[in-house]
Amino acid sequence: MEPAMGMGLVALMGAAATVAGCSEDLESDIGSQSNPNSQVQLAAQVGYPHRIFNKAISGEPPSNAMYCAVGAGVAMVLMSESVMSASPLIEIAIGAFVAALLNGVFSTTSYMGRNASQTRFNQYVYLDVLRNQVLSLMGHAYIATFCIVLLSYVLWEQTLIGHPFPFPVIALIWGLCVGAIGSSTGDVHYGAEREFQDFKFGSGLNAADSGNITRFAEAGIRSSMDNAWFCSKFGGPATGIAFGMVVFLDNWRSTAFGGWTAVVVGLVIVLALVIYNRKIETYARKKYGPYPEYAGEIAA
Amino acid sequence: MSASTETANQIDTKGIVVGLVGIYIAGIAASAEIPYLAFLAGIGAVFATKMGADAVRRVCSYGIGTGVPSIGMLALGMGIISAMFGLALGKMYNAVFIGPIVGLVIALAIGFVVGTLANKIIKLNIPVMERCLMEIAGAGVLVLTGLSVMIAGSMDFVVITEKVIATGYIAPVFILGALGILHPFNASLGPDETQDRTLIHAYSCGAIGMTIAGVCSIAVLDPIAGIISIVIGLAIWYVTFMGFVRLVKRDAGAGYVGTGLLPPGAM
Repeated sequence: MEPAMGMGLVALMGAAATVAGCSEDLESDIGSQSNPNSQVQLAAQVGYPHRIFNKAISGEPPSNAMYCAVGAGVAMVLMSESVMSASPLIEIAIGAFVAALLNGVFSTTSYMGRNASQTRFNQYVYLDVLRNQVLSLMGHAYIATFCIVLLSYVLWEQTLIGHPFPFPVIALIWGLCVGAIGSSTGDVHYGAEREFQDFKFGSGLNAADSGNITRFAEAGIRSSMDNAWFCSKFGGPATGIAFGMVVFLDNWRSTAFGGWTAVVVGLVIVLALVIYNRKIETYARKKYGPYPEYAGEIAA
Repeated sequence: MSASTETANQIDTKGIVVGLVGIYIAGIAASAEIPYLAFLAGIGAVFATKMGADAVRRVCSYGIGTGVPSIGMLALGMGIISAMFGLALGKMYNAVFIGPIVGLVIALAIGFVVGTLANKIIKLNIPVMERCLMEIAGAGVLVLTGLSVMIAGSMDFVVITEKVIATGYIAPVFILGALGILHPFNASLGPDETQDRTLIHAYSCGAIGMTIAGVCSIAVLDPIAGIISIVIGLAIWYVTFMGFVRLVKRDAGAGYVGTGLLPPGAM
């Protein structure tokens, strides 16, 4: 393959990954999956019934792996000559649509099931919450799955990059990867920043404050859409950049260099990122710390 | 938690018997050039999913909250190793029909060892741990073998390797099997969880796996057999999903509302 073509493919995959990461994170924020889910799940038990979507489809990595593996599996069935021979883009779009339908089914059952299991804490099953949120969940899941199945296709197709793994397995691995990155990067913005923004830096969290976060938004009772609005300003794009960088840098080093040089370049990238992250952390501690001095026990 | 309406022994018997019978009828019929019965392996997988989901429900009621997804992955992890070992052994001894049973036995053994390690070495001290992990591993192997036989239309290790693993259809089978086992209890987590609601949900998750495996079998096995599997899978899914919604209505009682503010007294 010509170097320019290779770099173009790497850039396309990086772009698709950026969109996928952003969309995946917003999807999990609307549904309060993973990091914030324990707060949402506990809220009713500590006396705060709420109108937040409680989407517990395992952790984010397995659920995204499911959407992507199913999307790629369906697309691959359509690609086999005996079934349909349309453009791969149409086939990937149909695969992602099936994955989005699965997302809708699993989201619905987890919202209804979990809220019905908390009846004794006065937690209602609100059908308007379900109807309002499910379609936006499915929409975001569709975008994320489409982009990841597309980048897996570019990686797998023999005339393009030609990875030896089968197509659905590559999609499964990238689905796990985007879920893990969304869970560790973007959800922190929702799970930590959004929920506890009125607490002092480094002050820790009193257990009695758990669940408080599900109640009031900027105006009225907090809904999952408020969380998507908040997270789309930082958490979603940050996840997109993180996942896009993983896909882009990893494929860039193996496309631009070969053999051991690629390994050394990978090590250099990891070292540079470790040092950069450490710098940011110490900067933040100096800027916003030190923690307030311990002022003794507080009377209950 | 409400009392069990179905005992563990009943669920295990149904799961193992229906699972194995389904796999065998589908496998034997396909080798006799009748691929249209492949959906029976999927029905076996649905019952095996229910068995796994009930085991997850019992072991996770001991307070394993965030461990529910992990235990589903563990199930299919143990399941895929045992399933492939069983099928490969059947091929080695030129007796492909012993494959699923050998796989099941190996899975039960692995489950027992893992359960003993968790209980005795890590000292989790959960009384039902060994038994539940055996059931989960058994469910994993039956789901995986069932859906693989349904896609490939054969119990031959070489055919399954070529048509399910090398093509990559093992990826959706693996992850849908795992989610089918872990999702029913995970989605009903809470003090008012009821067994019948969790188990009907397990049927519906198993039916989703069956439907997607049916889609994969269109390209691999036979288009008509695939469409039969899809239609039956969707029918099971629709009936059980509506049943799940009905039980949610029953369990939520007056809390099942179209819209409204927070409950009185909650503000």
